[in-house]
Amino acid sequence: MEPIRFDAKQLFTKIPTTAGNPLTGGVQENSFGSMLKRHLAEVNHLQNSADDAARNLATGQDKDIHNTMVAVEKAGIAFQLTMQVRNKVIEAYQEIMRMAV
Amino acid sequence: MNFFDSMRTSASGLTAQRLRMNLVSSNLANTDTTRTEQGGPYQRKEPVFAATPIQSNFKEVLKAEISSKPSEVNVVEVINDERKPLLKFDPLHPDADPQGFVLKPNINVMEEMVNMLTASRSYEANVTAMSTSKNMVQKALEIGR
Repeated sequence: MEPIRFDAKQLFTKIPTTAGNPLTGGVQENSFGSMLKRHLAEVNHLQNSADDAARNLATGQDKDIHNTMVAVEKAGIAFQLTMQVRNKVIEAYQEIMRMAV
Repeated sequence: MNFFDSMRTSASGLTAQRLRMNLVSSNLANTDTTRTEQGGPYQRKEPVFAATPIQSNFKEVLKAEISSKPSEVNVVEVINDERKPLLKFDPLHPDADPQGFVLKPNINVMEEMVNMLTASRSYEANVTAMSTSKNMVQKALEIGR
């Protein structure tokens, strides 16, 4: 097995090419912001489908209760994951704000 | 996402067992039915289950073919039990033949009860599997706390 080499210089020179430059507005596709946006859209989609499932059950279009429950559970789990990510982001932000300059 | 795969699999099991339960209710309700739209007495109905790989697009179908991914259960058809109907002597019955015999569905209530319990327990097992996988994900989320 090849040992993992940690080259600090390489790591730092790579940052602008992958993350884009937020000051010039050139945010690339795989930046953190767009990734967050994409996953938030996915979570929102799950929430919407849970909403639809509940409505279908209430209006009698869907006869199976468990399908509604599954949709609601999926949305709940996805939302919990979102909350965890958000907590971590806030935590990191506060950590940086506490940094003595 | 792997977690949603297992949830979908369990949900398909729930749907299949619900359908089986519906058929059991139908069989139990029609133990004495002598008339049907097709003519003759009611015929016992039974579901046929088939395992199908979880698929929502071509890539997933291909993946399921080359690796052993979980597969969900589907009811592919509902078959009529081809047992001979029972003959009961009841000359006053409007559906009796000239000799006074009535054709009755060959349904064994005990057998239907066993099927019903099996369906109920399978449903419970699927619910347990689903809530366990949900608990696993929630435990995984607790890692970050």
